Amino acid sequence: MEAEPIPSSEGLSVGLLIRLAFRNVRKSARRSILTASAMVLGLALLILSRTLADGAHESWIDQGVRLASGHVAVQGAGYQHSRSLDDLLGAADLARTRDLLTSPDLSRNLISTAPRLGVDGLASSAGSSAPVLLMGVDPAAEPAFSLLDDNLVEGRYLEPDDRLAAFVGQGLLDRLGLGLGSRFVVTAADASGEIQGQLLRVRGVYRTGVADLDQSLIHLPLSTAQSWLGAEGGVTALAVLLDSSRETRRTIRALQRQLDPAAAEVLSWREASPELDAAVKIDDLGDWVFHLITLAIVALAILNAILMSVMHRQREFGVLRALGLTARETGRVVLAEGIMLSLASGLLGVLVGLAIVFGFWRDGLDLSFLMDSELEFSGTLFDPVMVPAFRLAQVGWSLFFILLIGITASLYPAHQATRIDVAEAMKFER
Amino acid sequence: MSDHTATADTRSAGGAGVLPPSVRTVDVWKTFPQEPEPIHAVQGISLTIDRGEFTAIAGPSGCGKTTLLNMLGGLTRTTRGDVWIAGQELGTLSDRELARLRLRSIGFVFQAYNLLPVLTALENAEFTLLLRGVDAHERRRRVSALFAKIGMAGMEDRLPRRLSGGQQQRVAVVRAVVGEPALVLADEPTANLDSRASDDLLAMMEVLNEDLGTTFIFATHDPMVMARAHRLVHLVDGQIDSDDLREPPASGDGG
Repeated sequence: MEAEPIPSSEGLSVGLLIRLAFRNVRKSARRSILTASAMVLGLALLILSRTLADGAHESWIDQGVRLASGHVAVQGAGYQHSRSLDDLLGAADLARTRDLLTSPDLSRNLISTAPRLGVDGLASSAGSSAPVLLMGVDPAAEPAFSLLDDNLVEGRYLEPDDRLAAFVGQGLLDRLGLGLGSRFVVTAADASGEIQGQLLRVRGVYRTGVADLDQSLIHLPLSTAQSWLGAEGGVTALAVLLDSSRETRRTIRALQRQLDPAAAEVLSWREASPELDAAVKIDDLGDWVFHLITLAIVALAILNAILMSVMHRQREFGVLRALGLTARETGRVVLAEGIMLSLASGLLGVLVGLAIVFGFWRDGLDLSFLMDSELEFSGTLFDPVMVPAFRLAQVGWSLFFILLIGITASLYPAHQATRIDVAEAMKFER
Repeated sequence: MSDHTATADTRSAGGAGVLPPSVRTVDVWKTFPQEPEPIHAVQGISLTIDRGEFTAIAGPSGCGKTTLLNMLGGLTRTTRGDVWIAGQELGTLSDRELARLRLRSIGFVFQAYNLLPVLTALENAEFTLLLRGVDAHERRRRVSALFAKIGMAGMEDRLPRRLSGGQQQRVAVVRAVVGEPALVLADEPTANLDSRASDDLLAMMEVLNEDLGTTFIFATHDPMVMARAHRLVHLVDGQIDSDDLREPPASGDGG
């Protein structure tokens, strides 16, 4: 005889499923709390480490771009490859770029801009010489941009009236055997390819702690550099500082749309400072490995708890099957418990995570007790005080991952629940 | 096929009306593979049980009672032979169809009560109705009527752990009969109860059998159950040793 068709309304309704799952989670309170604790802790840790990592990266990027190219560097077309003073950004394009940056759309995230003329050269004193990076800067604009003036140890930073002044790193001064007020000569190839010398006087001394910078970077007035190198009005880059690295791409697109690509190219800090980019990426990768380990531990905790629960409840599942549930519906009960536990723990975890993040919000997490000297990392200084950077999307992703883990970890126990032998399961004694 | 099963088949053929019998088995075997020899727990049982019967399947431990009951309930598939429940051949059904057949046509009462621990007495009792999509009003009406009939009124909201063994088993019986299935399979339902509770439970089942016409099949070695059964099928070594129709006991003796 043919089986009667099964009415579609028969079986485990969503309401009954939720009720059963909720009651089961509540009944096994101790197990549920232990499992939930693993998830809450995992998620809180995930949120904290994610926001701290974001905060640290943002601090590196800010430091890195202030000392180097800015979040966005507008250069003369071809300069990025040629590094030649033939490919400067001309005065007209520089003015046009600055105009564009004052538009309401772009100016809202703009902190400052700094025109720079940078060339590799040689600094020589009576006793010694050293390869240097000579950076002609606008003394009026630069202090709002660069961190170099903040690291002053002696003398003063450049001023608009300065002509032959130089702001020099402590390391370079030591190497050249110079001091504040000393005169020295710098030489570099000018726009026509001729080696030209320029006399400068040490007006200020800085020390950033980043050896590469302290031993090579010299700031001198832009006008001096331009006339010395025969680059009237031209710059190698207009560095643009934004309030957040996340605005970089939007700013670049807006500038690229309106600048003539034959005259100017627009680069992100990732392109202009590939070392910094690599450092952030490597650190990010390390963070993700840490996150994956955290998530794996959480997954194992959930898997263990739910699997044990399924093993202990063989007879209960046997009863459900005897009463008319299909194997798949029995599995759904287990899955629903996993989802419910994950959801509750996930929400609690977000709250705990945010509470911890909020705790470090103002003053940051001070790790200086772990470091007895400055830690330099890929051209930037590691700030021992890590301030979390909160992003709603990041919290959303963390929650998504923990739920995904919870649900994935419940799949195997749910599958096990569908495979029980009902007659065998009913033999279980209390 | 034994003489006893032939008798049973003959009797049911005479008694069968328009409706198919509750249960019909033809040469049913169940073999469990095991070293060194496979175990033949049930060996060629043919049996017909009509609607409204109150039948006990008795026999010593290991005689195949529970295995037979599991096959009748579609919890275990036969190794050989066919089982029909309310006219449906179980061997032709998928696992999902079998589950739904259990939902609609078979009620179970277990030795260990097996109420769902997280549901109240009322929720346990109405569980199969919930699965069948019966509306809340109708569910409450049916369960309340049965609770009143079996003296459980007022205990609807208690969780199983707040009920005595006898009370839990009463709720389990209500759960089994409330959907008016073609048959109720009860595996040692009195094994965990004292004699007073057993007596109460059996009396209650008799009332339900008479009032609702529900078919009851017990697997038991409890003399009290055997004494009250209208038909006693005795198994030995997986085969029917005897199959006797008895006079129903005088009503009201169960208290």
